[in-house]
Amino acid sequence: MFRKSPELRASDALRLAALTPPAALSEQPLGEQRFVVVDLETSGLNTLKDKILSIGAVTIEHSAIALGQQFSCTLRRVNHAVSESVLIHQIPPSEVAAGIRAEKALLNFMEYVGSSPLLAFHATFDQRMLVREMNDAFAYNLRHPFYDVAEIAPLLCPEHNMRNPGLDDWVSFFGLQVLQRHNASADAMVTAELMLILLKRAERQGIRSLQALDISLQNWRRRQQNVL
Amino acid sequence: MSRNDAFAKTGKTAVQQNIQGTLEFLQKYPPFNQMDIAHLSFLVENCQLRFYAEGEKIVSPEDGPVEFFYIVKQGSVHGERRKGQDASQETTFEITTGECFPIAALLGERATRTSHVAETDTFCLLLDKASFVKLFGKCEAFRDFSVRGISSLLEHANQQVQSRAAETLGSQYSMETRLSELAMRQPITCEGHLPLHKAVQLMHEQQIGSLVITDEMQRPQGIFTLRDLRRVIADANADLRQPISELMTLNPFHLPPQASAFDAALAMTERHIAHVCLVQDGRLVGVISERDLFSLQRVDLVHLARAVRHAVSIDKLVQLRDEIRSLVDRMIAHGANSEQVTRLITLLNDHMVSRVIELCVERHGHPGVDFTWLVFGSEGRKEQTLYTDQDNGILFEADSQEEANAIRQKLLPLAREINLALDDCGFMLCKGNIMAGNAELCLSRQEWSRRFSKIVREATPTNLLYSTIFFDLRAIWGPLEGCQTLRREMLSMVRGNDMFQRMMAQNALQYKPPLGGLFRNFALDKKGLEKDTLDLKVKGLTPFVDGIRVLALANGIESSNTSERIRQLVSKGVIERLDGDAYAEAYHFIQLIRMQQHQQQAQNELAYSNRIYPDELNHLDRRILRESFRQAQRLQASLTFRYQL
Repeated sequence: MFRKSPELRASDALRLAALTPPAALSEQPLGEQRFVVVDLETSGLNTLKDKILSIGAVTIEHSAIALGQQFSCTLRRVNHAVSESVLIHQIPPSEVAAGIRAEKALLNFMEYVGSSPLLAFHATFDQRMLVREMNDAFAYNLRHPFYDVAEIAPLLCPEHNMRNPGLDDWVSFFGLQVLQRHNASADAMVTAELMLILLKRAERQGIRSLQALDISLQNWRRRQQNVL
Repeated sequence: MSRNDAFAKTGKTAVQQNIQGTLEFLQKYPPFNQMDIAHLSFLVENCQLRFYAEGEKIVSPEDGPVEFFYIVKQGSVHGERRKGQDASQETTFEITTGECFPIAALLGERATRTSHVAETDTFCLLLDKASFVKLFGKCEAFRDFSVRGISSLLEHANQQVQSRAAETLGSQYSMETRLSELAMRQPITCEGHLPLHKAVQLMHEQQIGSLVITDEMQRPQGIFTLRDLRRVIADANADLRQPISELMTLNPFHLPPQASAFDAALAMTERHIAHVCLVQDGRLVGVISERDLFSLQRVDLVHLARAVRHAVSIDKLVQLRDEIRSLVDRMIAHGANSEQVTRLITLLNDHMVSRVIELCVERHGHPGVDFTWLVFGSEGRKEQTLYTDQDNGILFEADSQEEANAIRQKLLPLAREINLALDDCGFMLCKGNIMAGNAELCLSRQEWSRRFSKIVREATPTNLLYSTIFFDLRAIWGPLEGCQTLRREMLSMVRGNDMFQRMMAQNALQYKPPLGGLFRNFALDKKGLEKDTLDLKVKGLTPFVDGIRVLALANGIESSNTSERIRQLVSKGVIERLDGDAYAEAYHFIQLIRMQQHQQQAQNELAYSNRIYPDELNHLDRRILRESFRQAQRLQASLTFRYQL
């Protein structure tokens, strides 16, 4: 032990030790790949200081979303002040105080994720927040790969013709009828629905595995840089 | 605590949040809107969401027994069935948002018979078979829907119509009540030899308005009513001792006890009678009086018909028009279907037209020649709604052309006066001048016959249009024989002319039912004031009326009424019973929606219009309406096939 680990409850320590490491980049057909689509609500946009207030996640398995197996929880935080995020997500401080213990919530979430890769819209943000929170709470090194739907979408739909499209832009691009928005689980659901469409596109474009998608994304990023 | 339990627990709030949206979505659509919230939650929690790109097969016969129950969350799905030898696909149905499939295959534990293909990018909710079976067992609304499908919805829609109408009227009476339920007491009868004064005494003691005279087997021989008594007393030579059999009305009108209150009310109106005998197996089992109907039904149909018949002036008839409107409101509330309502409106309109003619003849003086008042179009087909314009003509007998011209000159001024008086009574003047006051429509029988023959021989667009109006002719005033002869001539001309039949069939295809393309349920007008509307009459009813007319005329059917034509086509084996029933049901549903609209327009003092905004209909009505249009499409397809167009 080279660094000081945070104090752990015995039960948490057991669960932490049992967490599954990320699976290797898979060559299995994209249609069979399990993904966890996540959306976080946080106290602000500073990934070094701000805190996760709630986690919403949806699983895509065999190209389908099981409605009964979604993940959502509000984390209990002390001194949670009213911030702009609160205004957008409308999580009142009272609800945050009533949430479940942060460590427990994070472990629940990691158990839900298992070894699957994660998906999010603007995934870098969610990745940084989760990596830091896992580190702060458990000195756990979160190495699960994150894929950014904000990158996958323009990669597979180069005809989109939008400038820096956001989630809402893609929703209207595909004519998705959204039942709810702006809470973590609803946003995760929308992102997942978007991903169902994208998976079908990927298949049609000959991208057959997550590995192939990963390579396409790297090339796409390079092309974007060149354009700039 | 196992991992799964933990999920279940933390997941609970999550699931509730996200499922709420899906629940609310489903609650907009039948049958889900009739399901218990607990059952609906069960359904949603066990569903998975899948995406199908345009053109992708969702489930098809090759997949084997069906594994899932599908609900379209967004997009649309159509059925494709391979047509015989050639490889082309025929689209059989269309399923859109909120609808589900393939129920029959799922219940039958078999594969689907058609391929279900995503017509646009589509999201479906999939319920696995085990959960479907569980839900089927638990939830009655769901079971009912699954087993009975669209017809359970139709019933539901009718209930909705009735309860909506009943709300405004506060009434629960039904026009469908059986007469046997209304005639509670034993009928009072006597034998024919009873002297008049004894018979009247019996009526007085029993407090009844009619006495049925029967033989020893209780077979009705005649009826004697208070009205008959008035007639007898008015005669100064009346002998109170004469036997009742000499004064009774012979062979009284009767109905079986299973007939409905509506049947009785209609018969009373048609025949100007106040009593109907109920007869089963030849024996009298009851008597229904006008009062029995009034006290129970409050439908003063008979009263109204009588008031129309005896109106002393056009002004009086104008007033009665409002009463007809409120009667129609009540009819719909009492659960009458559109066929009953149009029949009733036609009946009252016939009385009204007859009365207008009589009043005009009185005012104008009789022209000195017999003439027959003909009606065409919807009036001729007995399919009028409150919103109607005149389509009429005159037929008379003449031996020579000179005589015909002379009679015409005598009749035309009267005919014009009648046209104007009808306009006052709410039968708007015909924009196309299809009116008896037009010299070209005031013709002798020979002239009519020549005119019809020309229409059949020279099938120009104008003549084809005329055929759709004139060939639905009916006489409503004056001698009936001329019209009957004319119709038979017309039918034999049409039967003997395949070319004309073909042209008529072609013409019947000109208005396509407004089923939309890929993205919409309905094809709507895209421009101007009428944006987003569709015309129920032209696009919905006309395909049925025109299509059925072709088949009826080609097969020598004399009736001009569309439902009646369908019935006769079925009994002649020209169309299948199932098809005939489906056409009739669809036609009546469109008509019902149209009448409801007229009713509402009248309430809000708006001009009558046949245009509806489908978006304003509830989901159920919209869906059945679409299904009804599809039946029109099938009818047109069968014409195309039959006449090889």
